Amino acid sequence: MTTDATPRTPRGQALVIPALLGPAIAFIVALLLSALAIMFVNSAYHYTGTHVEPRVTFDAYRRFFTDPFYASVMWQEVRLAGLATIVCLVVGYPTAYAIAKIRKTGWVIAAYVLVFSPLLTSSIVRAYGWFVILERGGPVNWLLLRLHLVSAPVRLIFNFTGVEIALIHVLLPFTVFPILSILLRTDPALREAAADLGATRVQTFVRVTWPLSFPGLYAAAQLTFVLAMNAYVTPQLLGGGRVQVLPLLIYQDISDLNWPLASVEAIALIALVWITMLVSNLLFRRRLATVGERG
Amino acid sequence: MSADTGPGPAVELRHVHKWFGTVHAVRDVTLTIRENEFFSLLGPSGCGKTTVLRMISGFEAPSQGDLYLEGRLANTIPPYHRDTNLIFQHLALFPHLDVYENIAFGLRLRRLSREEIRRKVHESLELVDLTGYGRRRIHQLSGGQKQRIAIARALVNEPAVLLLDEPLGALDLRLRVQMQLELKEIQHRVGTTFVYVTHDQTEALTMSNRIAVMRDGMVEQIGSGRDVYERPRTRFVAAFLGDSNLLEGEVDARDAARTTLRTRGARVVGPGGTDAAPGTTAYLCVRPERLRLFAAGEPPAGYENHLEAQVRDVTFKGAVIEYRLAAPSGLALIAQAHADGTPAVERGASVTAAWRLDDGVVLTE
Repeated sequence: MTTDATPRTPRGQALVIPALLGPAIAFIVALLLSALAIMFVNSAYHYTGTHVEPRVTFDAYRRFFTDPFYASVMWQEVRLAGLATIVCLVVGYPTAYAIAKIRKTGWVIAAYVLVFSPLLTSSIVRAYGWFVILERGGPVNWLLLRLHLVSAPVRLIFNFTGVEIALIHVLLPFTVFPILSILLRTDPALREAAADLGATRVQTFVRVTWPLSFPGLYAAAQLTFVLAMNAYVTPQLLGGGRVQVLPLLIYQDISDLNWPLASVEAIALIALVWITMLVSNLLFRRRLATVGERG
Repeated sequence: MSADTGPGPAVELRHVHKWFGTVHAVRDVTLTIRENEFFSLLGPSGCGKTTVLRMISGFEAPSQGDLYLEGRLANTIPPYHRDTNLIFQHLALFPHLDVYENIAFGLRLRRLSREEIRRKVHESLELVDLTGYGRRRIHQLSGGQKQRIAIARALVNEPAVLLLDEPLGALDLRLRVQMQLELKEIQHRVGTTFVYVTHDQTEALTMSNRIAVMRDGMVEQIGSGRDVYERPRTRFVAAFLGDSNLLEGEVDARDAARTTLRTRGARVVGPGGTDAAPGTTAYLCVRPERLRLFAAGEPPAGYENHLEAQVRDVTFKGAVIEYRLAAPSGLALIAQAHADGTPAVERGASVTAAWRLDDGVVLTE
């Protein structure tokens, strides 16, 4: 190991890093930044009802911020993503914790396949799977009726509930994975040290395992939230046009060639995600800083 | 701290076995560790010493046999109910807590008052000479400082037994030697029973009141450092604790005063009263520093054993000079002499290597 680290000429080394980063940076600059720039320009232009006129009017902004419809869509979207994140964390943490404790390789593989199975299916197939399960005559309603929990079939698709259920299903692997990886990286000797110093299993969890896994939990929450905010296929199929979120509006407005409004909606979506991340980073800054530093 | 506990061993193992699946990691270990003793478990890696320590701390339960802590049967008592504290091989300090909270961890679980916790944490920081380091974070400490915090975190709970799992292994030699002396000094001051696991024979000899030498899950010998070094019971113990000359031979005669062995080309004598039956194979173990070198052919008075040999190599090691010798029979010997200023024997010189009867130990296994 140490022989590999023999110092090279500084100039040679200085070139290696840009060379490795180059393709990625070129991609990001070309595609993301230029697209963003065009989007900002478009957002200011005028839409006549059939096409865009390159005239700076900020009409789209005016409409977006004055029509209460857009505020209600954003609120619905934040609720959808927020609830999905919370449910995913509540279900995902125990799942990750259990998988981290499995010793037998075969069972570990089985658990991984099970958790990651939603990602191995196409989103269309997954959505139609949920139709079959959640429809009026589907197994879920049958069970609810048989258990006398409801007196008539409940509506579970083409509404908020259906989108939420399907969203949680597909996002769960993204929640489990960051938590699992940090739990596996935690030195088991730390839990033993806690037990040795007098902590019961519950106390060990509260005082050692939980705080040490917090950064993983936090990363999982952010990832889940961002993916939920940007979800398109699931709200489209399981919402059946009745659950509106920004990505759906953006697509519709692009179809109508209303680039200014689509651009404003896209900017709003990006801003919403960034603001949420910034605020949560500020809120949890101390928590994360104390765990992040490792000797 | 343990002055008011009644007499009786701090730790006692009776015929303890441990299996991991099909691996028989600890085999029939019986040993007693006394109150206030610095006791070492010494052996090569995989000899079961760490497993014994983990059974005492409660992380493993004996598969068979009994473990007593201060006279109480402790086979299945969980670690958090034992009056023992362990210093882990890699210390296992909590990275999310500062030094103060690391040390206070055990005290908080015992629900001591805030005042009492503060007093005890400060006392233990003082004990390890790190006063004022309470608010440091673990990653800001040097290796030696982490070491001392781990000691403080364990000792602040005033355990009946402090267990140490090769905690000095990661330190460089100079720091390790310093920490050895500090640990010994701390043990002296607090009077707690220390059980120390190590594969380093010098470390074990430096610190321990008594040493248990382990091999393949079994205890080969228990005794003071001087005992196991000067009177090893087996060839393994002799070889593990420093250099030794092992002369293999057939037992010629044996009585209460002396045992005679016929080795390659020479007859040697060692102490009597051994279980080496005439006609069987036995070994005479002589430490290098017990061999004296004389000019060839000079019959040294008062030395029962002498072998003619040639000096093959001379190594100056600072405090001692080491000689590698070869006898005409092909037998190789090591001798050590204090580097006291007298001229060293030249390489290639013919010498007589001589030692007294009671410089050797007769081994049968």
